[in-house]
Amino acid sequence: MVTVEEIENVSKLMKIDIDDHSEYLDKVKKMISYFDILDSAGVESEEISMPEISIESLRKDEFIPFEGKLIEKMNHYKGTYVHAPKMS
Amino acid sequence: MMNLKISALEFVEEAKNGNISVEDFIGKTLERIDSVEDKLHALLSINDKALDQARELDKKIKSGEDVGACFGMPISIKDNMCIKNTKTTCASKMLENFIAPYDATVISKLKIQDAIFIGKANMDEFAMGLTTEFSAYGPSKNPWNTEYVPGGSSGGSAVSVSSFECVASLGSDTGGSIRNPASFCSTVGYKPTYGLISRYGLISYANSIEQIGPLTRTVKDSAFMLNLIAGIDPNDDTTVNNNNEDYLANIDSGIEGKKIGIITDMMGDGIDPEVLTATKEAISKLEGLGAVCEEVSLEMVKYSVAAYYTITATEAGSNLARYDNLRYGYDFPVEGYEFNSYISKARRNFGPEVTRRMIIGGFVPSAGHAGKYFLKAMKVKTKLTKEINEAFKKFDLLIAPTVPVLPFKIGEKIDDPVSLFLIDINTVTANLTGKPAISIPFKIVNGLPIGIQLMANSMNDKLLLQAAHALEKTVTLPEVTI
Repeated sequence: MVTVEEIENVSKLMKIDIDDHSEYLDKVKKMISYFDILDSAGVESEEISMPEISIESLRKDEFIPFEGKLIEKMNHYKGTYVHAPKMS
Repeated sequence: MMNLKISALEFVEEAKNGNISVEDFIGKTLERIDSVEDKLHALLSINDKALDQARELDKKIKSGEDVGACFGMPISIKDNMCIKNTKTTCASKMLENFIAPYDATVISKLKIQDAIFIGKANMDEFAMGLTTEFSAYGPSKNPWNTEYVPGGSSGGSAVSVSSFECVASLGSDTGGSIRNPASFCSTVGYKPTYGLISRYGLISYANSIEQIGPLTRTVKDSAFMLNLIAGIDPNDDTTVNNNNEDYLANIDSGIEGKKIGIITDMMGDGIDPEVLTATKEAISKLEGLGAVCEEVSLEMVKYSVAAYYTITATEAGSNLARYDNLRYGYDFPVEGYEFNSYISKARRNFGPEVTRRMIIGGFVPSAGHAGKYFLKAMKVKTKLTKEINEAFKKFDLLIAPTVPVLPFKIGEKIDDPVSLFLIDINTVTANLTGKPAISIPFKIVNGLPIGIQLMANSMNDKLLLQAAHALEKTVTLPEVTI
C-alpha cells in the first residue's frame, strides 16, 4: 500500500518538488493498486525476452559533426557557473 | 471554391496538374485554421512562413523544376517532434521556449518531399494521456461535438485532419495515441511495426514501444505517407530495413481468403453496446468481402494495461530525468538553491499527470517493488507477444474495436485514472508486442465516431493497409460540420 511517506521518498529521489504530497496520494494509490492485477497473471515462470541488436547492426561509433554551432550558445557565465543554453 | 476536404493523394494529383495553386490552398487552409481554432484548439503554433514556402513551390512547379512528392501539402506535426528552428513544447511548460536545433528524421524526409508543416499539433503533456486534457496549454475539442474529448495523446493531430486544418498529420503512438484519437475523430490512424519509422527527433516517452505514424483522411493516404517516412535510419538503431517497400502498390488487392481473428478479450466487459454492434457489422462486411473470421483469445490482454503503464512509467521516469533546467528548461535564477533543490524546483513546471507518472516511474522499478511490478510487467509483455505470435500462425489479421467506448465529455473521466487507463485496453497490445495496427473510421452513432482496429504480424504492414482499405471502402461516412 502506497503511503504519503513513500511518495515523499520517491519524489525526493526523482527530484520533484511537491508542496503537498498527500495531494498525489489518492490517484497514485489507485494506479498502483490497479497494478496488483499483475499478481494474478501467472507469469512467474516466464523468461523475459528482450530484443537483441547485434553490434554489426549498430552504426559506427564515430564523430559526426553537427552543422549548427551549439557552442556559440554557451555564452552565459555567472561567476563559476555556466548557464546552460536554452536552444533558442 | 477551394476544396480543403480532399485527400493527400488528390491534393498531390491536383497540384501536380496545376489545377490548384499551393499558395491558394495554403492560404485557404490558414483561413480555415483561423476560423475554427478558437473552438477546437488543435494547434499549439502555426507556421508563419507557410505562405512564403507555398509561393516558392508554385514558382518551382510553374517553371518545371523537380518538386517533391508532397507538392506543398499542408501537414500538421504533433508537438513532440523536432522541426529545426521551430518551437517544440511537447505541450509542457517545461519546454515552453524550446526551439529545436535539428530536424527529426521524419521531418527531414518530408522536407525533401516539399511538405509544408502548417502547425504543431496539441497533445497531452509529454504524450502522457489519452484525451488531450493533460496539455499544459488547454485541451483540444472533438470537432464532432466540442463538449467531448478528441482522444489522445495525438488529439491535436486527429482534430486538425478531421476538421480540415491540414491534409494529413504525424502523431506518435505509445499505447494507442494515434489510433485512439483517430477513432474518436473519425480519421485513419496508423501505428506501423515497431522500428519501421525512425524515432530520431521524437521527444522520448517510452522508447521501447512508441512509434511515429500518420493520421490521414484515407488508408491510401497513410500508405502514401508511410512510403515517404519509413526505412532504416543510422540515427535510430531500432529501425528496420523495409527494402523500400511500396505500400501503395496493390493496395486494392482485397482480402478474399484472408483469415481474421476476432479478439474476444477486447470485446468483453466494459464495451459500449454501440461499439460492439459496430464491430460485429465490420466483421460481417469483411466476411462479405471473402475473409474468414473466427474468434481467438489472447489471455494476457487482461493484464496488458497494467503491464503497459508499469513499463511506460518506468521508461518515462528515466527519460524525464533530462529535464533538469540545465540541458532543457526556462529562465530562473540559480542563486539561493543547492544543486538538487534547483532541479526539483525547475521540475515544478511539469503538469500533474507527468508528476504522477514520474512518481510511479520511481516507485514500480525501485528496490523492494521491482519484482512485484516491473519484472511481472515485462513477463506479461513477453507472454502476450508469444500469444499474439501464436495467433498469427493461424490468422493473417486480428480485429477489435479501437476503443471500447464512445468519445466522452471533457472532464468526465479526468479524476478517475483507472477508468482512463482501461480505455487503452484494445490498443496497448500492438505497442507491447511491436505489431502494426490501424484504426479505420467505421460508423457515426449519435453524432460520435467509432473506429475499428485491425492488426497484422510484424512487417506485414502492407497486408494490414490492404485490409484496412478494403474495410474502409465498405462505408461512406459524413464529415464534420464545424
